[in-house]
Amino acid sequence: MDITLTPEQQALQLEIREYMKSIMTPAMIEEMKDPEYYEGGGPEYRKGLRQMGQDGWIALSWPKEYGGREATAIEQYIFTEEVMRSGFPYPFLTTEAIGPILAEYGSDEIQETVVKGILQGEVVIAIGYSEPGAGTDLAALKTRAEKNDAGWLINGQKIWTSLANFSDYVWLAARTDQDATKKHKGLSMFLVPKDNPGFSHTPIWTLGVRTNATYFEDLQLDDKYQIGEVNKGWRLITGQLNRERLSLVNHGPIQILYEDVATWAAETKGRDGQPIISKPWVQTNLAKVKTGLEVLRVMNWKQAWAIEENRLGMEQASVAKVYGTEYFVEVYRLLMEVLGQDATIGGDSPGSLLQGRLEHRYRVGSILTFGGGCNEVQRDIISAAGLWMPRAR
Amino acid sequence: MDFKLSAEQQDVQKLAIQIFADQTDNEHLRQFDGKGTYDANLWSDLSSTGILGVAIDDAHGGLGFGFETLCLVLEEAGRTMAPIPLIPVLVSAAMPLQRFGPEQQKKILSRVVTGNTLISTAFAEPLNDDPLTPTTTAEKVAGGWQLNGIKHCVPYGSQAEKVLISAQSDQGLIALWLSPDSEGVELAEQQSTSGEAQSQIILNNVLVNDADIMATGSDAEVIMTYALQRTQAALCAFSVGITDRMVKLTAEYTTEREQFDVKIATFQAVAHRAADAYIDVECLRLASAEAISLLDQEKPADDAVKIAKIWCGDVTHRISQASQHLHGGIGVDRDYPLFRYALWSKQVELTLGGSARLLSELGESIAEEFSNR
Repeated sequence: MDITLTPEQQALQLEIREYMKSIMTPAMIEEMKDPEYYEGGGPEYRKGLRQMGQDGWIALSWPKEYGGREATAIEQYIFTEEVMRSGFPYPFLTTEAIGPILAEYGSDEIQETVVKGILQGEVVIAIGYSEPGAGTDLAALKTRAEKNDAGWLINGQKIWTSLANFSDYVWLAARTDQDATKKHKGLSMFLVPKDNPGFSHTPIWTLGVRTNATYFEDLQLDDKYQIGEVNKGWRLITGQLNRERLSLVNHGPIQILYEDVATWAAETKGRDGQPIISKPWVQTNLAKVKTGLEVLRVMNWKQAWAIEENRLGMEQASVAKVYGTEYFVEVYRLLMEVLGQDATIGGDSPGSLLQGRLEHRYRVGSILTFGGGCNEVQRDIISAAGLWMPRAR
Repeated sequence: MDFKLSAEQQDVQKLAIQIFADQTDNEHLRQFDGKGTYDANLWSDLSSTGILGVAIDDAHGGLGFGFETLCLVLEEAGRTMAPIPLIPVLVSAAMPLQRFGPEQQKKILSRVVTGNTLISTAFAEPLNDDPLTPTTTAEKVAGGWQLNGIKHCVPYGSQAEKVLISAQSDQGLIALWLSPDSEGVELAEQQSTSGEAQSQIILNNVLVNDADIMATGSDAEVIMTYALQRTQAALCAFSVGITDRMVKLTAEYTTEREQFDVKIATFQAVAHRAADAYIDVECLRLASAEAISLLDQEKPADDAVKIAKIWCGDVTHRISQASQHLHGGIGVDRDYPLFRYALWSKQVELTLGGSARLLSELGESIAEEFSNR
């Protein structure tokens, strides 16, 4: 075994790390201080994304016919790591999950407008899956789409539609067969342009970031915006959730938080005149972070490698999702303890440490264990697919 | 980056699985429980199939496949609880000897490969399991060195022909081979949790010939560190097998066992604890693989080995208890195999550094790294 990056992979890593400095400009960092723009959507964000499109980075993992570089899963993981590490709110789900589906199933017109737009950094897509009554049990969704002469008539409500306040489209799951024998049958996928008059949204301010409730009222949609086979949407949804699970637990953002806290603790003296990092309990906390981080990195690398080798076990993405998200929650605590009470001072306030990033990570991190497929369901998958135990109830 | 096993590694793994499977059923293992002996027939089979020499160079009759390949055998030994001294003989003693020993001393390796002799290493002393800071002393005398001190928890200490030990001398650390039958050596068996044969070795003015000295000073430190880190990593590989088997036993048992008229595996509380154990094994496997791979390539592995051993300590503890718990009474019954895995888990967890101490050492290493940036 060789569990190290090749010289080419290391060079790619450094190239992206250097490149992202040109995207995370002071103006971009300033713009992200506005809670409205923390997850993107401002003019600087649009500029940065367009630049990444022009420079060919968005197409990195895409086939050559789309102008892509056909990066391996490991190279794509490195890209994700470095982009996340930089802090730029890159729309991974648009470029890595929905984009490829649209490229596979979309009409020529969709290819020409939406797919090209994604690759040029012009188009961002929000995901409209969850509903007030359909979260973990996603197949229980009630938003309905009915066929009519003009295409499809859509009615319903979605919730937690992140990015929908600035995205260009919503990728929508709706029920098209009301009488399907099983509830995950009879679902279809739609691409809803945000300027459609039947669409509206209201903000939901969470513990961490802004998200949205979205409304589809007698929304009339042209046929070309129905993507994939009618009533067979479930496969597209679940195929994409597996990709989401892996990008969710990238080690890059934790790696840099760990390094920044350790550097701070080495450079900062406590009241006793000694560096904070000289205290045994600080060292223990950092050691716990590193012990978990090494495994997270190797786990992600191994899964990227397994995807490349076409041998990723069904339970493996679930293992990474549970381990990674629960580790994240623990890490934020361990690192905040090192900073002490000062860790709770908001980024814009006097006396804040590390731009208040840890406090912010805590806020947004609390959704991870249930977002992207709640961890109890992942454990069901692990015990069934990994250990061949009968399905739990 | 490549997580694949090489063709020769896969062959060794298959062979080990086959040999262990034939000789490790519960009835057979019972003969060795707590007896302080090992399975000489199995040891001989491992010799005749070449497994004992898997990491020993062909100059000494081995296959020369290296440490990582040997660790695959250790994992299978853990999975089957094969009662044989693989780690003390092939890792703790043979690896440093092969890497650093003078030719004359290395001659014994050919008899290790044929299974005709055992060698071992004494890492621990009372209240001290750091072989770099022993309290045992060595004083230069005519023709050799005179040793005084106590070593303990020495695997197969009374059955080994030679035992690698370290001592303090006026030339710094010294690493040498002790013959346990030397004059002045007092041997006492120590009952270990796992049942593995372990000895206390008391050294009263024991003379060791110059010919049996491996090195002094920083060379001796390198040797003992080499032996220690490989043994720690070997324990991790061994515990991957132990914990993986415990989780599989638990899955099988809870899938059969009925209470309240249902298979207990269908309770989420049961399934999820098993799933957590599955995740734990995967984490241990990854941390171990990284440490072993780095050691195998002789790349810097100080932190990686500590991290793997921390996972080893935590995961053996957690899975042992979860498996016992999910089995209920049958898990502690000696007619069922789980108890051996549990006892070895505790042994491995506490051998050569528990998690608390290693976390502290890792923390010191991190502090040093970031203070010197």
